[in-house]
This record gives sequence, structure tokens and C-alpha cells, in this order.
Amino acid sequence: MVSQDITPTRSVLIELKNKIKTTKNGYKIMKMKRDGLIIEFFDIMEKAKAMRGSVTSDYETAMTKIAIASSVEGEIAVKSAAYALKTEPKVKVGSKSIMGMMVPKVEAEVIHADITNKGYGVISTSAYIEEASTAFEKLLDTIIRAAEIETTMKKLLDEIEKTKRRVNAMEFKVIPELEDAMKFVKFRLEEMDRENTIRLKFLKGKGEAAE
Amino acid sequence: MFGRKGKKGNYAYTVARVKAKKSQLMGDDAYQKMLMMSLPEISRFISETGYSKEITSMTGKFTGINLIEHATYANMASVFTSILDSATGELKDTLAADLERWDIWNLKIILRGKSFGIDLDSIREDLVPAGVLDAEDLEKLMSLDVDDDIIANYGRMTGVSIPQSVVAEYKAQGNLAPIEDFLDKHHFERLLATIDSRSRPTRLYQEFIRKIIDTINLETILKLKLEGIHGEPVMKYIISGGKDIDKKLATQLANAETIAEAENDLAQLDMYEFIKDALGKDTHSLKDIVAGLRRYKMKEASTFSHLYPLSIIPIIDYMLHKENEVNNIRIVARGIDAGLDKEIIKGLLVI
Repeated sequence: MVSQDITPTRSVLIELKNKIKTTKNGYKIMKMKRDGLIIEFFDIMEKAKAMRGSVTSDYETAMTKIAIASSVEGEIAVKSAAYALKTEPKVKVGSKSIMGMMVPKVEAEVIHADITNKGYGVISTSAYIEEASTAFEKLLDTIIRAAEIETTMKKLLDEIEKTKRRVNAMEFKVIPELEDAMKFVKFRLEEMDRENTIRLKFLKGKGEAAE
Repeated sequence: MFGRKGKKGNYAYTVARVKAKKSQLMGDDAYQKMLMMSLPEISRFISETGYSKEITSMTGKFTGINLIEHATYANMASVFTSILDSATGELKDTLAADLERWDIWNLKIILRGKSFGIDLDSIREDLVPAGVLDAEDLEKLMSLDVDDDIIANYGRMTGVSIPQSVVAEYKAQGNLAPIEDFLDKHHFERLLATIDSRSRPTRLYQEFIRKIIDTINLETILKLKLEGIHGEPVMKYIISGGKDIDKKLATQLANAETIAEAENDLAQLDMYEFIKDALGKDTHSLKDIVAGLRRYKMKEASTFSHLYPLSIIPIIDYMLHKENEVNNIRIVARGIDAGLDKEIIKGLLVI
């Protein structure tokens, strides 16, 4: 706001005072939101760290199990068992609110099917293949939960950045400019008061001289 | 059955042949050597130990680990087929009944591949014609488009009639599990029925098959237990005719909620010695238990083969050892290829 654009009137001064009060209130709330989001982010970051660890360990377990299954039963048997699978993982994607910000909520509805419902025979499917299949189901479940946490973390980071920019803009630009404008209006009003007083004195002097 | 001449079958000739072949199978030291090799070295090594024909003929089609897997399977299939072709009389019938498991394997490959929409060439590559059905029969099955036709034709070719209740269950569930389980159970039931148990060698063979059924039933029970399935639903998958695990013991084992709870019952079994160390090791994996069961099976085959040398048992023993050799080569090669720890690979080998 350029001070020169402002009309220095009493109503503008009152309006500016109100604006400064509202902006300062908004600034406080934004600051609280930013701090809240940061606390939330650190919480989520801890969860994300643990989840990344789980994804890594589940991935390693699944790869070891599939390597063992392929070694003992052969790639042909493993491939064939995979072709027989009839169950498909189902995922429900919704949303939830964290401090007014919408983040995704991903839920795995059907991931694990027990051996009797997978689509291949129970008797001839070896324990190695079944263990590999279960390990990959577990990995998928972990990845889905990790996807929710990672997306929430990313969204939180964006929101923190946005809120931080807003808080900084208020603190270093909007409020100081409004205060400058208020100072300018105040100064101009005082100046006008002084000019009026001098003008009145001058007129009074002129009148007395004429008498 | 188990005579020396005529319709009984050419036992003397076939046993002499397989004994000569058995002496050529790889020993423990060969696997230890292979563990130190790279994949190309393993390919070269197995070429020098009887797999050269298959390795050479498949080099253009496959590479690396897939070449080893397909070549070893092809070699095994040709060995089994040659034994079956040279056998006569009842011996041939009994061998055919045993090798039916490879026909079931191939049928599963065809049905699963087709249901997933795999092209015929890829399905053909994965077939192992080690059973009674030759490549031509399998080609006929592959050429059919509908699962029902494939199953019906398979039934006609092998003399297996799949009950309507199983077909209905398959149609209701929309997956092949009921058919696959029926075929696996039926294979052993038919195999047991084929064996005339009036003479000592046949009784021995029957006893051996019943012990194999025990290992399969125990693996099934443990697999389901690991999934949290116990009690009555387990009994549906039990193959009847087991030797040590009869219906009563199978029910007891099935009813135990955890593997630890079943350990007392398992302690009565012959195979316990082979699995006892693995039982308490890892409650989330059957890896070591299954390896123990496979070792028990091989040990039983060797023991039985010495009890009556002029019978089908030495032939079955050789075939199991040949299959085991193919499995062991694959375990080492795939294990090395996947970067598995040497100790894990050693633990998976059945020596």
C-alpha cells in the first residue's frame, strides 16, 4: 500500500486501525496454524520413518522369499501359481482433515487372501510359494499405508510452506505497511490540524488588524 | 506284479538300467563345487555331467538361469519318458500311475496359463512332458479354448473322471483350486489302488507311497496352520491312505491351533527326526520343515530301494533322485542368481 494513495481522513484512520487489529489477529492464528502443522509434521515424519523402515524390511523379506520359492520350486511353478491367482487387491481412497487441510486416507480393503481362496490348489502348492505370496501381500499392505503417510507428509510440507509465506507476508509486509499508512494518516491529520490552527490564527490576526 | 518276466514286467532290465544311471547322478561334492561357481560355469559344469544335449539344443531359446531350469527339466522329462517307454507289463502301468503327477503339473500349467491369457508359445515353453501324455497330447489340450473342454479331454486321455460336484464347485468359485486339489488327491488314491499288495515288494512300495502321502498331508496341515486355518476345514485337503498319519492323527494335528501344540503328536512320527530342529526355529516359516520333509522322503526312497532290489522301488528311487538332482541344480543356480546367502542355499538343498 503506497501511503500517497491514501486519503488522510479520520474515517480512513479508523478503517486502518480496524484492519491492523484484524490482520494482527489473523497473523496470530496463522502463526498458531504454522506451529500446529509443524508439530503434526514431526509426528507424521516419525511415522514415515518407521514406515520406510517397514517397507524396506518387508521388501527384503518378500524378495528373499520369492528367490527361495523360485530356487526350490522353479520359476515355472512360481509363474504358474501367479497366473492362477484370482484375488485382486482392493484399496479404498478417502480423505481426512488435519487442521483444515484435506489429506488422503488410503485403506487396504482386500489384500490378504488365505491359501484356500487364492485360486490355486492347496495340496500341491508348496509352502515356499505360499510364503512368498503372503510376504508380497504384506509388502503391498505396507506400501499402501506408506503411500498414505508419505502423501500426508508431502501435503503437510506444502501447507507449512504456504502458511509460513503467509505469516511472513503479514509480519514483514502487510502489518508494517498498514502501520505505515496509519502513521501517515495520523501525521497528515495532525498536520492538517496544525495548518487549520495557524490559518485560524492568521485570519484572527488579519481581522484584528482590520478593526 | 514285481515278477521277472512276461506280463509282470521287465524288472531286471529296467532296474539294471536305472542302477547304472543312478551311479551317474551328482553327489554332495558336486553341489558344493557348484556353490562356488558363476551361472555360466554352472551351465558348463552340468553340460559335462549329462545335460549337454539339452543345454546345446536350448541355447538359442533361453539364456542364463532360464536355460539351466528348462534344460534340466527337459533332461529329466526325457529320462523319465525313456524309462517308461522301455518298461513293459505291470511295471509300465505302475510307473505310468506314478508319473501321472507330471501330467497333472502340465494340465495346471495349461489351465492357469490360458485363464491368465498367456500365449501358447509361452505355455508350451513351461511344459515338462515327463508324464504319460506326450508333447502331441499336450499340444491337443493347449489347442482347446474352453477350460471345460481341456478338463474333459484330459479326463479322456488319462482315464480320470472328475465328479460333477468338483466341476460344480470349480464353476461356483470361478477358480481352478477344486479341480487341482481333486486331481492331486485322485493321483495318490489311484496310485495306491494300482498297487497289488499281495507280495512283499508291492507291500513295500505301497508303504513307501503311503509315507509320501504322510509328508504331503503334514505339509498341507502345517501350511494351513500357518494361515490360521485349523480343525475341520483342513480335513478337506487330506489325502487318504497315509501310513503314520491316519485319519485320527490327521484330525488331531489339524485341530492343534499352532505348530507348537502339534509337536507332541508329531514326535510319534518317523519323520520327526528330520523336522524337530526346524519346528521351534521360526514360527512364521515352514522353509526348514519342508526341506526336512523332502530329506526324509529321499532317505525313505533310498532305504526302501535296498529292501527289495528287483522291484519298482529302485526305479522310483532313481526317478526321485533324478528329480532331486534337477531341483538341487536349480536351487544352487537360482540361489546364486538371486544373491541368496550360501548358508540359505545349503539349507534348501536336499542331499
